[in-house]
Amino acid sequence: MHDPDAEDVAGAGRGDRAAAARLIARHSPKLLTVARRMLGGQAEAEDAVQDVFLKLWTHAARWQPGKAKFETWLYRVTLNACYDRLRRRGTEPLEAAAAVPDDRPGPDAGLDDVVLARQVEAALGELPERQRAAILLCHFRDCGNVDAAEIMGLSVEALESLLARGRRALRGRLAHLKDFAGE
Amino acid sequence: MINDRSDAAFADRALDRLPAASPAPEFEAALLAAYDGWQSRRPAGPWAGLQGALRAFSDLVWPGAPLWAPASAFAVALLLGVGLGVMLPGIGGQRMPFSLEQTPGFTLISPDLEEDL
Repeated sequence: MHDPDAEDVAGAGRGDRAAAARLIARHSPKLLTVARRMLGGQAEAEDAVQDVFLKLWTHAARWQPGKAKFETWLYRVTLNACYDRLRRRGTEPLEAAAAVPDDRPGPDAGLDDVVLARQVEAALGELPERQRAAILLCHFRDCGNVDAAEIMGLSVEALESLLARGRRALRGRLAHLKDFAGE
Repeated sequence: MINDRSDAAFADRALDRLPAASPAPEFEAALLAAYDGWQSRRPAGPWAGLQGALRAFSDLVWPGAPLWAPASAFAVALLLGVGLGVMLPGIGGQRMPFSLEQTPGFTLISPDLEEDL
């Protein structure tokens, strides 16, 4: 099994700054996207991704290629960091966090787009965290069900069940927006 | 099945409407600065090997967790085991199914075998 990250992980573990920079450039955008949607706020997502990379540096020197795919490990650690933060958040309602307007739409984005994005984000924030994680992994990371199941530590059947329930719930919460969603 | 596919298409369309959460250049610079900081704090000397071995064992038991998590779980399990051993010492002895003083007898089932012997 060829792992495209293996060399860079080993390099970063040996102190190769360029290898670390390549890992950051390759993975931080998608990790941030997943964390952003899991947590509902940009600042908290950035903190979570910072934690993930710190963990990566401490593990890089001992990384054993071939044991597990690096990217799978990276996303698993990211999800765990998000779960930890969600649990620490405790009584704060997810909807409130999801409504933090820290996504900056482009200047050509209309009001409808901004409102729609907030509603989609709020609906996503209301889903149980594992359903949300399954949907986000499959959508933003473009990974197949087998990869997503491995990241979440589930069987493929369990992941598909989570996905089906999550998507159904999301659709139910956004049913009033079906014109916007292209139905 | 058709409903699942239709739900999936709906969810994909809805999620496509979310703006991309692209990292700012300063964020990537901060990640790289954290790497530099970690490099400068890396343990060196005779303890580095021991720390590395401890962390490797910790990863084996509980991948990705901080060192205190598997250590705490191990300590709780150990305390529980010792506590149960001290509080309930007689349980194992009373339920021994046989003892060396009373070995069960046996009989040969096959008469042919008895002749062979």
